Amino acid sequence: MSGSASSVAPHEDARPGIALACRGLGFSYSEARAPIPALREVSFELCAGGSLALLGASGSGKSTLLQVVRGLDEAETGAVLLDGRAAGDVGYPELRREVGLVFQVPELQLFAATAREDVAFGPRRLGWSGDEVEAAVDEAMDLAGLPPADFGDRHPYALSGGEQRRLALAGVLAMRPRLLLLDEPFVSLDPRTRRELARILRRLKDSGVTLVLATHDVDLAWSLCDELLVLDRGRVAVAGAWDFGAAGGHLLAADRLREPFLVTLWRRLGRDPREAPRTAAAAAEALS
Amino acid sequence: MKVTVAQYYPGSSPIHRLDPRAKFIAVSALAVALFLRDSYAGLLVFAAAGGVAYALSGVPASWFWRAFRPLLWLVGLTFLAQVLFAPGDPFFSFWIFHLSWAGLDLAAFLSLRLVVLVLIGSVLTLTTAPLALTDGLAWLGRPLRRLRVPTDELALMVTIALRFIPTLLVELDQIMRAQRARGADFRSGGLGQRARALVPVLVPLFVLSFRRADELALAMEARCYRPGIVRTRLHPLHAGTADAVLLALTAAIIAAGLLV
Amino acid sequence: MTPPSLHGSPAIVDVAGLHYRYPGGRTDALADLSLDVQQGQTVAVVGANGSGKSTLARLLGGLERAAQARHAVAAGHDLMSEAGRLEARRDVGVLFQDPENQLVAECVEDDVAFGLENLGWAPPEIRARVDEMLERFGLGDLRHREPHLLSGGQKQRTALAGVLAVPRRVLVLDEPTAMLDPAGRSEVLEAVAALRDDGLAIVFITQEMDEVPGADRVLALERGAVVYSGGVAGLFGDERLVRRLGLGLPAAGEVALELAGRGRRLDGPLPLTLDELVAALAEPA
Repeated sequence: MSGSASSVAPHEDARPGIALACRGLGFSYSEARAPIPALREVSFELCAGGSLALLGASGSGKSTLLQVVRGLDEAETGAVLLDGRAAGDVGYPELRREVGLVFQVPELQLFAATAREDVAFGPRRLGWSGDEVEAAVDEAMDLAGLPPADFGDRHPYALSGGEQRRLALAGVLAMRPRLLLLDEPFVSLDPRTRRELARILRRLKDSGVTLVLATHDVDLAWSLCDELLVLDRGRVAVAGAWDFGAAGGHLLAADRLREPFLVTLWRRLGRDPREAPRTAAAAAEALS
Repeated sequence: MKVTVAQYYPGSSPIHRLDPRAKFIAVSALAVALFLRDSYAGLLVFAAAGGVAYALSGVPASWFWRAFRPLLWLVGLTFLAQVLFAPGDPFFSFWIFHLSWAGLDLAAFLSLRLVVLVLIGSVLTLTTAPLALTDGLAWLGRPLRRLRVPTDELALMVTIALRFIPTLLVELDQIMRAQRARGADFRSGGLGQRARALVPVLVPLFVLSFRRADELALAMEARCYRPGIVRTRLHPLHAGTADAVLLALTAAIIAAGLLV
Repeated sequence: MTPPSLHGSPAIVDVAGLHYRYPGGRTDALADLSLDVQQGQTVAVVGANGSGKSTLARLLGGLERAAQARHAVAAGHDLMSEAGRLEARRDVGVLFQDPENQLVAECVEDDVAFGLENLGWAPPEIRARVDEMLERFGLGDLRHREPHLLSGGQKQRTALAGVLAVPRRVLVLDEPTAMLDPAGRSEVLEAVAALRDDGLAIVFITQEMDEVPGADRVLALERGAVVYSGGVAGLFGDERLVRRLGLGLPAAGEVALELAGRGRRLDGPLPLTLDELVAALAEPA
């Protein structure tokens, strides 16, 4: 399918996730006189279908990294590799179209007259046929917990905050991304919608989509992501397995970053922290 | 993202400390006087006055350039007009372009006058905080209240608008990026296509602003604001002897500029 | 018939039988709500979205008019009368959720001064009070900073300083940390905790269970009606209610709830911290 300008919607039985690798990424914002380095020598690998938690204080470069991976900004140094291919390689532009990015407070992107119209925006821009767009929209809205029969014709602004968040997510999911990047998806959400959204992301992860989740919520990250990347002022502080020990105490204190609760709990209960469960339910199971 | 909207350069020079009302009156009077007479000598007087005021303000020269640069096109246009419609005998002609000494002289004068105008205006905008300027204008506009013009409320509206411009710019950028991530294209196509491409950006911005207006109004009411009340200020305006001196000096400069 | 609290009872907020419906709404946003807050007390109000919490905040602040009530008095003002509501806006301060949409001025100190300017205070008094507030909320270094250059926590602290610059008798906080990151959240919660020592009556509205413990009493709302009113421990002891209300639980509470669901109910109130959970787990079954 590579090389076609207007892509056909990928079939469900295609390889589910895209493998992501970053090699020595560098990027700065040019502010008049002083360029502000936002990313310095960022390198990490994430296999297809993997799940990566991206943690770090505000201003550490998380949003910048996601936008560079998505291609909204071009890296100054280094490369973003999708399934091993870099910019300029055959098939790269097609792969890039299968990378979805959900921005912070994504409700800001809602603009259409009906929910269905808004979700259809992305797929239409990809050049899919009318039928493919409709199918993708229905699928995405179902996945986001907004059945098209009930929500399809509603006005986006008439929806509740939590519903708007999920609608914006559906708008990205309708483009059938195989690598999904999420920038602080849980911020400003009420507790019910947070749980709902975590469930949706878990389902996506189970379906094999590669996930990168930038968040401040360490416990939610722990429950959803197998691997960890911690950024500190644009540099990688920890990469790979969840191991805060490698980060050193200063990072934990300074950025109010802490170990996942369940890891600390296991340690306090005299159990091996490396075996700590990922969810409260799993913890309760192990304790009862 | 550092955004300087109203070009205010904070400082405590004698110019900074002058009352905004006096500065506004002085600048307006000088601006009008500039156009009353076409004389290089007069222009020199006004230019010197503006230059001295600028120097006293302590604002770096680069900031004037920043203020003037966007108007460079206007200077270019002025020159072009003279070159196309030259008064006097042309000493060089090519197609519709005629160059004459009279034309060049006029072009030079008009351009220099523009520079002096911007110089004088910059002294006002660079040394006066937007809030102070708005307060000053509201005070000067007070007589309009008799015509039922809500000057104080308008002044508050201007202040709030200025406060939110940087925020809106950041949100605009955010929305554009989010739509680009969904495949929106703001660069290609003709004017019509590009205008349509802005709908997914302008609609959310409008909705955001409406919701903001609602919430902000509520927050203001919760802090005892109501239209029509008389508000005091944390930084009240104080006109003093320095301001009287400024106005007297301005009158003298205008006289000199018109008579020299 | 004048409401009892105008006769000098200690309750500084006394509301009974409050009803409110949005124009064009099909159901009551608030139905038969009663609430009283004594001077110096903190009352937490919890409930999911749509439970009527924000409506209550606006009503208590004199910013909204209830359809009917047996009586509604805040800081000695009758909330059912237009004049009373306007007076209430001075004595009852309200801090809202969105830090961005509360800041009006071009810099921090001007914003903190806004309320006092509206009340016509003399400039030297405004200056003194603003300096006091900036000091109190750790905003001294930020006094000339423009709002768009502030972090979420800094914005919300500025808004709080601005609300309290006007001397208040009651403070209502409508989910003040909902839009903040963890750092901003601690800043604001610390600032609010410090207020409790001032004798201010506080109504703290939230959806997060871990923001409730400092309160003297808690009121739980569900679809506009009060489903619990009493001590904090009582609410925390009722897991079924906590689950039903859909409130946000810290990890310790989640684990405890899951254990209860599996038949291992821990003794005592719902643990919210690691220490509480570990202690509860140590108890013999």
